[in-house]
Amino acid sequence: MDERILIVEDDAETAAAVRAVVEGLGCSADHCDTLEAGIAAAVSGNYKVIVLDRMLPGGDGVEAMARIRAGGATALILILSALGRAANRVEGLEKGADDYLPKPFEPDELRARIRALLRRGTMQVLDNDLMAFGDLEIRVKARTVHVKRAHVAVSPKEFELITYFARHSGQLVTRMQLLENVWNLHFDPGTNVVDVHVGRLRRKLEEAGSTAIQTARGEGYIFAPLGAVG
Amino acid sequence: MISARPLAARATLRLAAWMAVAVTIMSLGAMGLQYRLVETRLMAAQKALLAADLDGFRALYDQRRIIAVRQAIEFRSTAASSDEVLVLLDRQGGVLAGPESGWPVAVAQKGGSFGAEPAEIIPESGTRWLAVSWDLPGGFSLLVARSLRPVDDTLAAMRRGMLGLLAAVLVAGGAVGWLAARSVMRRIGRVNDLADRVAEGALDARLPGARSDDEFGLLETHVHGMLDRIQNLNRATHRLSDTIAHELRTPLNRMLQKLARVEGQEDVTADLKAEMRQAIRVFDSLLDISRAEADQGSGGGLVPVDLSAVATEVWELYEPVAEDKGMLAEAAITPGLMVLGDRNLIAQMLSNLIDNAIKYCAAGDRLTLTLAEVEGRHLMRVADTGPGLPDEIKGEAFERFVRAERDRGTAGHGLGLALVRAIAARHGARLVLPATDRGLVLEIGWPKLQSSE
Repeated sequence: MDERILIVEDDAETAAAVRAVVEGLGCSADHCDTLEAGIAAAVSGNYKVIVLDRMLPGGDGVEAMARIRAGGATALILILSALGRAANRVEGLEKGADDYLPKPFEPDELRARIRALLRRGTMQVLDNDLMAFGDLEIRVKARTVHVKRAHVAVSPKEFELITYFARHSGQLVTRMQLLENVWNLHFDPGTNVVDVHVGRLRRKLEEAGSTAIQTARGEGYIFAPLGAVG
Repeated sequence: MISARPLAARATLRLAAWMAVAVTIMSLGAMGLQYRLVETRLMAAQKALLAADLDGFRALYDQRRIIAVRQAIEFRSTAASSDEVLVLLDRQGGVLAGPESGWPVAVAQKGGSFGAEPAEIIPESGTRWLAVSWDLPGGFSLLVARSLRPVDDTLAAMRRGMLGLLAAVLVAGGAVGWLAARSVMRRIGRVNDLADRVAEGALDARLPGARSDDEFGLLETHVHGMLDRIQNLNRATHRLSDTIAHELRTPLNRMLQKLARVEGQEDVTADLKAEMRQAIRVFDSLLDISRAEADQGSGGGLVPVDLSAVATEVWELYEPVAEDKGMLAEAAITPGLMVLGDRNLIAQMLSNLIDNAIKYCAAGDRLTLTLAEVEGRHLMRVADTGPGLPDEIKGEAFERFVRAERDRGTAGHGLGLALVRAIAARHGARLVLPATDRGLVLEIGWPKLQSSE
């Protein structure tokens, strides 16, 4: 991936950490440390993803999103902010952010999010009924999962879970991402409730003979039905 | 809020009615006094006329005795005035002079000399008469009576006039009262409408136009002053919580980035990360609590939310956790119950409650979540058969940082129930801890959303 990513961030150390993640993904990073410079760069440059802070010199990144969009930028926006309460996150997403990550953040978490956004930019709309990964098949309309032609009974939530995994196959998917996207919850429930659900789904798949879901170091899971992790 | 209009109209009507009744009573009093005065004057005039007659008869009697009186009566009778009846009887009771009908039954013959007193009022052939009678020397009896018809006619006309006038005063008083009350109510209504808009969350709502130079203008100025102050405080609260978040999370972020570069001490870094996450949770909870408390009572930011759907989602999230712990978990959720709320806050609150229950219960304990419509409210009930609340903190379990001594070993900060209470209050929901034999039961009565959509 040789995409351009814009970082709008006033804290130098955070900006450096974000830059490290971006460059680790093989993308090039531009950095602005004020809101005005950020908006100007976002509008003029051809960026794939913008990592945008909120409490910047010059204003709130969330309020600036409308100006960035109005300027014709098609970049996907990831808000990376110290305003990390559930209410802040919901507000940011409702105002048009594509993703919202609160500070402090784990580099792995940011990497997973940026990667998901980069992929969303290139991914065709998945409207085909069958998602097949070797001997694991997901039938979207029928909402069924099959491993080696055998039906695996999953609950509605588990089906949503495996579909989300499938759409991000081969990538690290974090617990926070699952909670936000599968359960639509934007607060930290304290206990790792997500683990219990993933564990159940995983056992069902393993009983049917698939090791598609693997625990990733630390922060989450990787859906790698074909054994390829990337 | 819902019945504001009929309420104002009721007050207007009441004021108008009071005004009309008061004005009518006052005019009734004035007219009554006048009526009494006229009545007295007219009677006095009649009495004076009667006295004059009697003086005449006495003069005649003094000069020429009965003969003259009889002649005078006959002369007067031919004049045929219906306003006067004169009767003279002889000693056997035969009519010497006067009408054929003779002496009226109602008047007793009595002695005495000429004089207007004691006159009596007698009814005779449909009219009232003012009558005086005497026994004259020699066994003669004389009756002089004057008709009160002119007096009665005048008074009757006056009464009719008064009735008409009273009706007019009642209507006019009501109308004036209505107009006056309506203008007052309209100005109070303006302030009420403003209060309604503020209650719905529009803290920046103000009354348009200039303040008038009277008490209402002063009231509006006061209300505006209070709203400005609330708005400033609210802004300051929000700014402060944003600043706290920024000033706390930015250094934590630097720490976390540095931790990511530490190698070879996975256990220590994992512990540190968990501690940081806990610290952030505590700060977030505190900020969430104060935010929910600041927004309490204002409907701002609340939208129709399917409470049943949120409850189901959160339940499905936690049910496997409870089952894995060996608990018996059951939910009975009536579908389609709507409230005006913040989905995220409701989910957070319920997650707190269920997470708490799971944390304190042991294998074999029962956890139930029920949501149903009870007595006009959506009653949410979270019940477990765990250890319950220790008596020592029962009274203050919903205060911040209150934890039981026995739970020192369990992770937590005593903010869960405080946040639950703040979120309930934010939604106008009633939170109760019903007495229970075993475990903890918590009931939240949510106000129903009016429209069924």
